[in-house]
Amino acid sequence: MKGDMYFASASDEEILKRGEYGGAVTALLKFALESKVVDAVLGVRKRSGNNRYDGVLDLITDPEEVKECAGSLHCAPVNIARNIKEYLDGAKQMKIAVPCKPCDARAIVEIAKRKQIDRDNVLLVGLNCTGTLSPVSAKEMLISEYEVEPGDVVMEDIDEVDGTWKLTVTLSDGTKKEKDLEELEQKGYGRRENCRRCDVNIPRMADIACGKWGVKEGEKQSFIEVCSDTGTEFMDKAVESDAIKVEKPGGDTIAERKKKDEDAIELANKCKEEYLKELREMSLEDRLAYWMRYFDRCIKCFGCRDACPICYCKKCYLEPDRGYVPGGEVPPDRLFPFTRLAHVADSCVNCGQCQDACPAEIPLTRLYTMLNDELSPMFEYVPGMDVEAVPPLIAAKEEEETLIDDINLFLAKGGEGE
Amino acid sequence: MTELNYVPTICPYCGTGCGIYLVVKDGEIVGVEPWKEHPVNEGKNCPKGKNAYGFVYGDGRLEKPLIKENGSFREATWEDVLEIIADKLKDADGSSVGFINSGRTTNEDLYVVQKFARCVMKTNNLDNSSRFCHSTTVPALLSTVGAGVMETSTISIGKADCIILAGVNIHETYPMIARRVRKAKDKGATVVVIDPRETVTVKNYADIHLRLNPATDVALVNALMKIIIEEGLDNKEFIESKTSGFDALKDYLAKQDMSELEKITGVSRDLIREAAEAYAKAETGCIIYNAGEAQHAEGVGNIQTLADLTLLTGNQGRPGAGVNPLRGHINGEGFGDMGPIPVFYPGFVPVSEEGAKKFEALWGVEGLPPEKGMSYMDMIEKCSILYMMGANPMVSAPDINRVRGLLENKDLLVVQDMFMTETAELADIVLPAQTWAEEEGTVTETDRRVQFMNKAVEPPEEAKPDWMPFCELAKLMGYGDKFDFNFGAEIFEEIRKVVPTYTGITYERLKQAGGIQWPCPSEDHPGTDTMFADGKFKTPDGLGHFQVVEYKPPAEPVDDEYPLALCTGRILFHYHTGAMSRRTEKLNFEVPEALVEINPEDAKEKGIEDRARVVVESRRGEIRPIAKVTDDVPEGGVFVPWHFAECTGNALTGPSAGPPSKMPEYKYVAVKIEKGGE
Repeated sequence: MKGDMYFASASDEEILKRGEYGGAVTALLKFALESKVVDAVLGVRKRSGNNRYDGVLDLITDPEEVKECAGSLHCAPVNIARNIKEYLDGAKQMKIAVPCKPCDARAIVEIAKRKQIDRDNVLLVGLNCTGTLSPVSAKEMLISEYEVEPGDVVMEDIDEVDGTWKLTVTLSDGTKKEKDLEELEQKGYGRRENCRRCDVNIPRMADIACGKWGVKEGEKQSFIEVCSDTGTEFMDKAVESDAIKVEKPGGDTIAERKKKDEDAIELANKCKEEYLKELREMSLEDRLAYWMRYFDRCIKCFGCRDACPICYCKKCYLEPDRGYVPGGEVPPDRLFPFTRLAHVADSCVNCGQCQDACPAEIPLTRLYTMLNDELSPMFEYVPGMDVEAVPPLIAAKEEEETLIDDINLFLAKGGEGE
Repeated sequence: MTELNYVPTICPYCGTGCGIYLVVKDGEIVGVEPWKEHPVNEGKNCPKGKNAYGFVYGDGRLEKPLIKENGSFREATWEDVLEIIADKLKDADGSSVGFINSGRTTNEDLYVVQKFARCVMKTNNLDNSSRFCHSTTVPALLSTVGAGVMETSTISIGKADCIILAGVNIHETYPMIARRVRKAKDKGATVVVIDPRETVTVKNYADIHLRLNPATDVALVNALMKIIIEEGLDNKEFIESKTSGFDALKDYLAKQDMSELEKITGVSRDLIREAAEAYAKAETGCIIYNAGEAQHAEGVGNIQTLADLTLLTGNQGRPGAGVNPLRGHINGEGFGDMGPIPVFYPGFVPVSEEGAKKFEALWGVEGLPPEKGMSYMDMIEKCSILYMMGANPMVSAPDINRVRGLLENKDLLVVQDMFMTETAELADIVLPAQTWAEEEGTVTETDRRVQFMNKAVEPPEEAKPDWMPFCELAKLMGYGDKFDFNFGAEIFEEIRKVVPTYTGITYERLKQAGGIQWPCPSEDHPGTDTMFADGKFKTPDGLGHFQVVEYKPPAEPVDDEYPLALCTGRILFHYHTGAMSRRTEKLNFEVPEALVEINPEDAKEKGIEDRARVVVESRRGEIRPIAKVTDDVPEGGVFVPWHFAECTGNALTGPSAGPPSKMPEYKYVAVKIEKGGE
């Protein structure tokens, strides 16, 4: 049932051997296809050969191909939610199992509320995450800081070692090299900016949440927490069919996992504090000027909108034919960034895809995070957690509806007032 | 079950060479997604890149060969049209046949067309729009540093601590290279912009804006150098060991009167000094220039002075330094490298007796023509048979009214293109070409970066890759054995044998993100980020050669009758002749028609209001665009984008430089402007 926890590993010997942590995720995805729980698996695989820095989505229907997607590509932050919404008809025509990070799962939940993805048709196999890296900067970092050939890396890992967060890479000969994560990030390397501030490491909004926290060093196992009724049913079937072998974790391991999560959240809060300090200390005028200077750089590529997993309108407010933002202006009218902000800030899941896509290097997630931090306590709403919770800016409470009626009445009277 | 493929490829627009993923769903392109591993743009794109595939499904894709009969086109078979073309070519004298090609086609296409012209037609009458963009760069840089190419990689621009943007509105025309300028600036680099207009580049990047009078660049750069020498900021050690000809330049500049240079350029000596000091004192000074320098009657001189400036300060041979031309086309470097031009064989081997012998041996043919071919406009004037592969002179050439008359009177005009362009409409035979998404091949971008383009989807009906008809014509004309190519890969293998700078490059190696920058002499060579890093220039003696350049006024100065200086150019949302961008809905939504930019003072004098229809007239023609009244253009200047066939600045342009460049002066044309009716 929801809340159940397991140590799991693949029953299949080959998958067990190949998997970084016992191959439980691969075995579960394979089982999902074989048992026809889903029609397809949407995995991320290396584009070519052994290149860990370029991941592409792969819609898999052959159970044998699932293992091509095994392993975490930390340096290939693929925009999963957008791709389901945009190119797979929001999973409305087929059931898809989606191995995903917390931000992917949250984006899927959030866009499902807007009816753009059918939440019932996606089986979210959540993967714990403490951050991803941009591929080009990651390669630079490996060369200059680790002094290794990026092509020689076979695994990356971000974890806390004796109270310090480390980014460890494993080379093809088995050698491990580790560096202090915070020091790397001070030099401009390390995780993507949004990831540094992210405090959702265990994707409990998914159907199951899989990770290695709590697993003893050297054990070929994954720690799985069941997070929904769908997840419960799926796990029960998988165990029953002997796709995976499971054990019950002891209280100490559960506590250890909890401690790791808390420490990761603490790191995120610390990063948030540091990165936003300068902005928060500015006067409102200075803060506005700060953003205006960034918006002046905009070349209206629509990259932020296109990358945003929450945006979905077919007829977008920002297109010139809608008559709000005039066409052809560089930079575009201020309505452009502000409309985007107003449209999605309440639902932003801090996935960082907009900032990744921005050619003007506008730190968009910083802006969205700051606004979301204000809105979230105000409306008691955290985006992407619960598919039943309605985004505050698209929902009206009863008293607000009366207010809307009043406004309409006011406008109908020609705005004269009473 | 849905089939979803992510195909990595290169944006088909400018010469930056940004990577994109095309999303192919059940055989149709449905989206563009970021290719984050691509080192040039790291998953970021400009509006054109984000809409890169729009025109693949744009209105009017040509699907079948067409023959004009009694003034209108009828569909025909490839067999029939090729036979007609082959018969005509067989009867023709090679010197009366011309092949105009394009930088939107692949290296494979370009290699085959030049081989066909030379081996089969025995002519060097080959040219492309490099004539209109960097025909001044090549002689200028050959005479100074020995190679007419971008020296640094675009990526390394971020390492510079002073950047001079000379005649390039980089924020609009190369946004992903502008991003590198931004990165340098964010780290503290000083940016100097040389431009008569106050462009968005000026507003976004310029620490120092040298807003010179139009077409006075030589005087301005001479002034910069004069100050550097006078203040002792020249790099004496570099000049001594790596250059020749400095004394002549020094003597010439010493005689220049600073007040006179101030008067010519309209820029104060204090501002010139500030810029001179910033550049000369920089650790790594980078000069990036484009059409604003190149597209002038005195373009060769403009670029020579910029090269002088790098030699004077020793800003050479390091990542992020040098004098760097930007290329407008996706294959902007390749359409020189492959030799589809009148003066060079592949690999920039000069057309000569010696060059002809070399290629006769390489290709196993006899009788290659040793004399230079005709350049672009000469072919349009003089050739009786013209074969256009992807070229659209009815928008891109100067004085298009005259061009129309000439094209209408050819014995045979063949146009091979993706669309029924303005030029194709005048053709006798139109051949349907594949787009970049339908053909695999290579392109070479502005920083010598050779990249691979994957085939993403099947072409419509009977469209063929641009190289293929030439192989078929060669067969019909008895040269089949020299053109036995079935795939792009086979052509590329021959390119590697013939062009030494490409020898180490293979299709397999190009599948890595970012490709390989030439020179790449062997398969274990990583490619070359920076030219002249060994301290030697590509000149015969290995030294940098200073050139003394005297300021000369433009070819057609303004006068009482035509008092305004017109500048033509590009804008962010469109591309060259509009053949691709104007068939892309989202881009056309942004800017659907031409606007002429005019200064408020000039507008006031003529009673022209913002957004009013006006008539712009030169000695050769007139256009009727909408006016945009703005301080961005200087008093006495007007600007018109060249993308809009129905209202192109090229109805007004005309005067060109003499040999060697024969560059039309697109950046300075004397015009007048009046209020216009509808």
